[in-house]
Amino acid sequence: MSIFKQTISRRTVLGGGAALGASLAMPGVLRAETPKTIKIGILQPVTGNLAQDGELGRTGAEHAIKFINDNGGIASMDGAKLEMVFGDARSTPEGGTAEVERMKSEGVVGIVGGFASPICLASSQAAARYDLPYIVDVGVSDKIVQRDLKNTFRFGPGFGTCSETAIANLVKLNEAAGNPAKTVVLVHEDGLFGSGLAKLMATELPKHGFEILETIAHPTPARDMSNVALRIRSLKPDLIIPSSYYGETVLLMRTLQQQRVRPMGYYSVLNGAASNMRFVKEFPEAADHVMDCNHWHDPRKEEAEALKKSVEDAGGLWAYNIPLNYSCVKLLADAIDRAKSTEPDAVNEALAASTFEKHVMPYGPTKFEGGQNTGAAPVSLQVQDNAIKVIYPEDFADAKPVFPING
Amino acid sequence: MRTLRPYLPVLVLGVLLALAPLFVTSNVVLNFLVFTLTVALAAQGWNLLGGFGGQFSFGHAAFFGTGAYASAIWQMQLGFDAWTGFVAGTLAGALAGLVIGFLSFRAGLRGSYFALVTLAFAEVFRVLANSSEVTGGAAGLLLPLKIGAENLQFADRATFLGFVVALVIVVLLLVQWIRGSRFGAQLVALRENEEAARALGVDVLVVKLKAICLSGAITAAAGVLYLQYFLFIDSGIAYGTWISVEVLLAAIVGGLGTVLGPVVGALALHGVGELAKSLAGGLPGIDLAVYGAVLVVAVAFLPGGLVGIVRRRDRPRPVRDAAPVEGEA
Repeated sequence: MSIFKQTISRRTVLGGGAALGASLAMPGVLRAETPKTIKIGILQPVTGNLAQDGELGRTGAEHAIKFINDNGGIASMDGAKLEMVFGDARSTPEGGTAEVERMKSEGVVGIVGGFASPICLASSQAAARYDLPYIVDVGVSDKIVQRDLKNTFRFGPGFGTCSETAIANLVKLNEAAGNPAKTVVLVHEDGLFGSGLAKLMATELPKHGFEILETIAHPTPARDMSNVALRIRSLKPDLIIPSSYYGETVLLMRTLQQQRVRPMGYYSVLNGAASNMRFVKEFPEAADHVMDCNHWHDPRKEEAEALKKSVEDAGGLWAYNIPLNYSCVKLLADAIDRAKSTEPDAVNEALAASTFEKHVMPYGPTKFEGGQNTGAAPVSLQVQDNAIKVIYPEDFADAKPVFPING
Repeated sequence: MRTLRPYLPVLVLGVLLALAPLFVTSNVVLNFLVFTLTVALAAQGWNLLGGFGGQFSFGHAAFFGTGAYASAIWQMQLGFDAWTGFVAGTLAGALAGLVIGFLSFRAGLRGSYFALVTLAFAEVFRVLANSSEVTGGAAGLLLPLKIGAENLQFADRATFLGFVVALVIVVLLLVQWIRGSRFGAQLVALRENEEAARALGVDVLVVKLKAICLSGAITAAAGVLYLQYFLFIDSGIAYGTWISVEVLLAAIVGGLGTVLGPVVGALALHGVGELAKSLAGGLPGIDLAVYGAVLVVAVAFLPGGLVGIVRRRDRPRPVRDAAPVEGEA
C-alpha cells in the first residue's frame, strides 16, 4: 500500500488523465492545423519548340497556387491547399496524352493548360475518359469546344472571336487615322493557327477596303526570312500582318529592319512575339510600335499589376500566358470551392455554372456555353517606349495608338 | 517442329506482349505500350524495306500519314466505319508505296538518292495535306469521340493495347515467314548485291515494288492506329519528319534486318527515356537526352543492334554474316 502511495498519487492520476485526454484530442487538432492537399495538374510544353510558352504558363500557374494557398486554400474544404502535379507535354499531342494519364494516376482532380491547340485537343480528350475537368489556357482552335466534351472548358477567347476583334480594331485604327493604309501583305506560319488566320484575313479584309497584295506562308521552325523580307520590300505594302510563333516573328521583324522595309504599321494577331516582353527587351528597335491583337491582363485590376510586378521582380518576363494560366488555376480552385468536392462530375458542373470574376483578365464574370467562356475577348496592344500598352478597347486603354508609324 | 522453330522467338515475344494487357493495370504503362508498339509496327514496315531489302527510306512518314489520312477521310468525309477505314488506310499505304516505288525504282534510284527522294515525297505530301480542303488543311482532322468497339475506340486502354499487340504479332509472323520465303531470299540478295541478284534472274523491280508496297501497308496500319488512338491528325503529325526518324532509329537500335529488332528497339529507346524521366523527376528534357545517349551508344558499339547482342553470344560469328540467318534452325 505504501508502495502504491509512493508511486501513484492522486495528483499523478489526474495529471496522467489530463495528458491522456490531451493526447487523444491531438489528432483532431493536428487535422485542423494541416488540412489535406488537393492535387491539380498543370500541363505545359516545357521541352520542344513550344518550351518558352510552356515555361511562361507554368509560372502563371505557380503564382496562382501560391496565391490561393497563402489566402487560406479551398475554404469550403477545411482550407485544403493546392499541390501542383506538373506534366511536360513535350510540344506534341502524344506527349500531352501521356502526361494526362500520369497526372491522373497521381490523383489530380483537374488539369489546366495545354497551350497549343493540337495538345489541347488530344489531352482534353484523354481527360474526358475520366470526366476529369480540363481547363484550356490558350489553344485557340474552335474545335476544342465543339466536341460536346462535358469536361473541357476554355477560359480565353477562341480563334473566331480573336479574328473578329482584330479586324474590327484594325478598321477602327485605320479610320481614326484617315484611312491611310490600303494594301496588306499577310505572313503566316503554315500550321493550324497561322494558316487559319491568314485565310480569314484574306476573306474579311477586302470587305473593309484593304487590298491583299500577297499571302506568304513559312514553316515552323524557319531559319531564314530573307526571301520573305525581300518579297515584302518589292511589294511595298502599307500594312504587314504576321501570324507566327515567337522565333519566326523575331526573325521576320529583324530581317525587315535590316532590309529597311518601312510600312505604315505591323498589325499582328495572336502573335508569339509581339506581346512578349522578351522581344521588346532584346530587340527594342525591331519591336518598336508593333501592334498585336492578343490575350492580355486587365491593367485596371490591382491583382494583375501585383502579379506582373511579382513576376518581373523575380527576373521573369511578362507575357499573356502568365495571367491566363494564373486565372485558369483560380477558376478551377473556385469551382472546387463551390462544388465542396473534388468529384469530377461535381467540379464539371460547378465550372459549367461558373460566374467567376476574381481573375486578372479583362473579361467580366465567366459564363460558359458549350465549354467556351462567352465573355472572353482579346485586346489590341502596341509596343511603345519599350513597354507593351493596351490601345483598344478605349475604356481601359493605357496608351493612344501610334499609327501610321512611317507615314 | 523444325519448320516452326524459327517462329519460336516471335511467339515468345508475342506471348509476352499479349500477356501485358492482362497484368498491367496502370494507364500510364498501357499508354506507353500503345504508343511504343505503334511506333514499333511502323518501324517493322521500314525494316522490311530498309533492313531486309537494303532500300533505306528517310520518308516513311509518307506511308504513316497516308494511312492515317485515308482512314480519317474514309470515316469523316465518306461516312464509312472505322474497321473498313483501317483496311482502307492500310491499302492506301500500299498504293502510296506502289506509286513512290514505281517512280523511284524505275528511275534506278538507289542508296542516298532513294533516301532523299522518299524524304521529298513525305514533304510534298505534308505540304499538300496542309493546304488541301479534304485533309482539313492546317487545322487537320478531328475524329469524333464515339467510344465503342464498332468505331475502333475502346473505353479502356488495355483493350486497345490488345488490338495493337495482335497486329504487331501478325506482322512479326508475316515478316518471319517472308524471311524464310523465296521472296525474302530475293530481298536479301538484292540488298547484298543488286547486280548479282539480277544476273541470277531476280526481277529486281518487282521484288522492290513488292517490298515497298508491303512496307507502306504496315507503316500505314500504324498510322491508322495513331489516328484511332489520339483521334486527331494534322499535316505535321501525320507527315512530319518525327515518324520517319522514329521508325528508322527503332529498327537500327533494335537490329537492322532482324525480325524482332524494331519491337526491341522501340521498347528500349522509349523505355529508357521514360525511365529516365520518372527517375529525374521535374528535369525537363532528360528523357530526350537519355534517348540520344542510348542512340549514340547503340550506333557506336552495337552494329548488330540489341538483337545482335543475344545472337553474338549464342553464336560466335561476325554480325554481318549472322544477320540474314537470325532465328534459323
